[in-house]
Amino acid sequence: MKKTQFVAGIAFVLVALSPGYAVAADGKPYKVAGGNKVDKVTLEGWRTWRALACERCHGARQEGMVGPSLIESLRRLSKDEFKGSVLKGRPEKGMPNFDGSKMVTENIDGLYAYLKGRADGAIQPGRLEELK
Amino acid sequence: MASKRTYKWGVLFGLAALPGLALANPEVIKLTGDSKNWAMQAGNMQNQRYSALKQINKDNVKDLKVAWTFSTGVLRGHEGGPLVIGDMLYVHSPFPNKVFAISLADQQIKWKYEPKQDPTVIPVMCCDTVNRGVAYADGKIFLQQADTNLVALDAKTGKEVWKVKNGDPKKGETNTNAPHVFKDKVITGISGGEFGVRGYLAAYDIKTGKQVWKGYSTGPDAEMLMDPDKTMTWTDGKMAPVGRDSSLKSWQGDQWKIGGGTTWGWFSYDPKLNLLYYGSGNPSTWNPVQRPGDNKWSMTIWARDVDTGQTKWVYQMTPHDEWDFDGVNEMILADGINVKGKPRNVLVHFDRNGFGYTMDRATGELLVAEKFDPTVNWATHVDMKTGRPQVVKQYSTQAQGADVNTKGVCPAALGTKDQQPAAYNPANKLFYVPTNHVCMDYEPFKVEYTAGQPYVGATLSMYPPPKSHGGMGNFIVWDAGTGKIVKSKPEKFSVWSGALVTAGGIACYGTLEGYVKCVDANDISKELYKFKTASGIIGNLNTWEYKGKQYIGVLSGIGGWAGIGLAAGLEKDTDGLGAVGGYRELKNYTELGGVLTVFVLP
Repeated sequence: MKKTQFVAGIAFVLVALSPGYAVAADGKPYKVAGGNKVDKVTLEGWRTWRALACERCHGARQEGMVGPSLIESLRRLSKDEFKGSVLKGRPEKGMPNFDGSKMVTENIDGLYAYLKGRADGAIQPGRLEELK
Repeated sequence: MASKRTYKWGVLFGLAALPGLALANPEVIKLTGDSKNWAMQAGNMQNQRYSALKQINKDNVKDLKVAWTFSTGVLRGHEGGPLVIGDMLYVHSPFPNKVFAISLADQQIKWKYEPKQDPTVIPVMCCDTVNRGVAYADGKIFLQQADTNLVALDAKTGKEVWKVKNGDPKKGETNTNAPHVFKDKVITGISGGEFGVRGYLAAYDIKTGKQVWKGYSTGPDAEMLMDPDKTMTWTDGKMAPVGRDSSLKSWQGDQWKIGGGTTWGWFSYDPKLNLLYYGSGNPSTWNPVQRPGDNKWSMTIWARDVDTGQTKWVYQMTPHDEWDFDGVNEMILADGINVKGKPRNVLVHFDRNGFGYTMDRATGELLVAEKFDPTVNWATHVDMKTGRPQVVKQYSTQAQGADVNTKGVCPAALGTKDQQPAAYNPANKLFYVPTNHVCMDYEPFKVEYTAGQPYVGATLSMYPPPKSHGGMGNFIVWDAGTGKIVKSKPEKFSVWSGALVTAGGIACYGTLEGYVKCVDANDISKELYKFKTASGIIGNLNTWEYKGKQYIGVLSGIGGWAGIGLAAGLEKDTDGLGAVGGYRELKNYTELGGVLTVFVLP
């Protein structure tokens, strides 16, 4: 029992520290300038969003259509919950599992960063370019 | 003895030579021949959406009142419409594909069928979870479920008689089309052009559900049910055999296996020729750079023998599609259309690509190919010798290339007309066509294929044509003999509802705001009746007679590509929002919800 708590404690510390390398100084998982220039990881996330045609269910502006609004979902979901939903799907609600897609599994962090940026209002809908 | 035998054979041969008369399902022919019924989704096997009923006419249509309404209890897009056979009405819903049998005497639900379907098919469906309705024959109601199960229900009880799986949703195969019964077969197609599905048409025995034949849109000749020497196509101004491997030669490598050409439209049938007609859809992906070649036989008009599935003739409208000009729209069969001074028995097709085609339906000869919206700009014209559209480089997404946004292409991907079926008026030999009036920017990009996952590869923005009336639709009258627009009535939104034309001199259609409109068939600019239904209309107008009264019915329920797309997904994200006010405005008119509204004179 104690051991479990100890492990969980370490995990918590790691999670709390991990943004240090993956995230910009302001604590956001993306870097953005002018609303449409983003870091490479986030750009690949957008490309993944586009290639898997997520807008067919979630809307071109992530506002929700057959599927829920991701603007709202991303304000509520933890990153792990987000990853679980995308990779394992929510079959009972009609969300397919994307763990069979190489592009999604390789770019899941970028996809999260992109959608978080959309939910925060920091990234514009539509075409993005790489921030150099 | 010998002479007697010869005589017998002579009789048999005679019967075989008239297959339409001798073997066509006499029940359905009889039912559709009586205007009191609306026994097929298009009213008859020729896809005409015409009724000889004339109690409701151009003088009294202004007095129409709502007789009764019925909620399907389902949201999302409601395409198709009810069937009426005798004193029963059969109406369907989108996913989960409920079917209701309603008694016309008292509007009681006699039976209800609701299949259990895996909800994971929902995200595999392209443009909303629509279903275009049921078919009737042989005491059975046929339902083509989203999950590809084709079900025959006892028309009296709603009990399953047989059920057969037509495709595999795990590969992206789903169904939205209405099944069609021709002779003793129920014909169905497949959806999934955006998931790399290899399209096909299949025929099942109405008694048992056993598959009789299946013909693919792409691949080896045998699997397409093509005979290289006997299947004909328009070549250098005349009909000629397609030759060996006509599809395989038009694709790079194995791409035909995930090449699209799906078949989710409306089918028609000529009993005398024993031919069934339909169109195949877009090649997969939407990125043309990734699939060199003509991509045969996507985007093609097909004529197949109903009994064997063998292909009599084909005509590819949009070789090597670069815009998603899906070729599935209905083929309307009409007789005695005057083409260059000669009466012809033709097939008329209003394609997504903006051209209205008139073909000799027996031979497959190309007679007319003209724009049915003057804003169509991706091609200057169709070369009548080669049959090929002459593509304008500025609007060629292939020429502009991947990761380039090709701007100002008209029409948009949803076409000058999508699935919303047109009507044919035999009284004046003119066609009444619900159309879209929308242009687009189209940016193709590279995609990789994973079974069961979207294989689209293009981002689009859509908007009304610049320098036009500002709306996104027209209701037009078309002369298929000359290829000319007779009259065009502008609409604020795409007209995504199937038209009806009657001997009462009226043409009726629905609008995305939710109006049912009836106009004077001789002058469609004269709006004679207008009523706002519960939701936007993407369903089709049907009519029938019960106990001496004529009724007109329509399914409301906004959704489909038009409804969802226009309302939510089509804003120009990077270019400012000025041009797109029209789309957003749909939200000011309508909300989701499936309701059947039935009209009658007081």
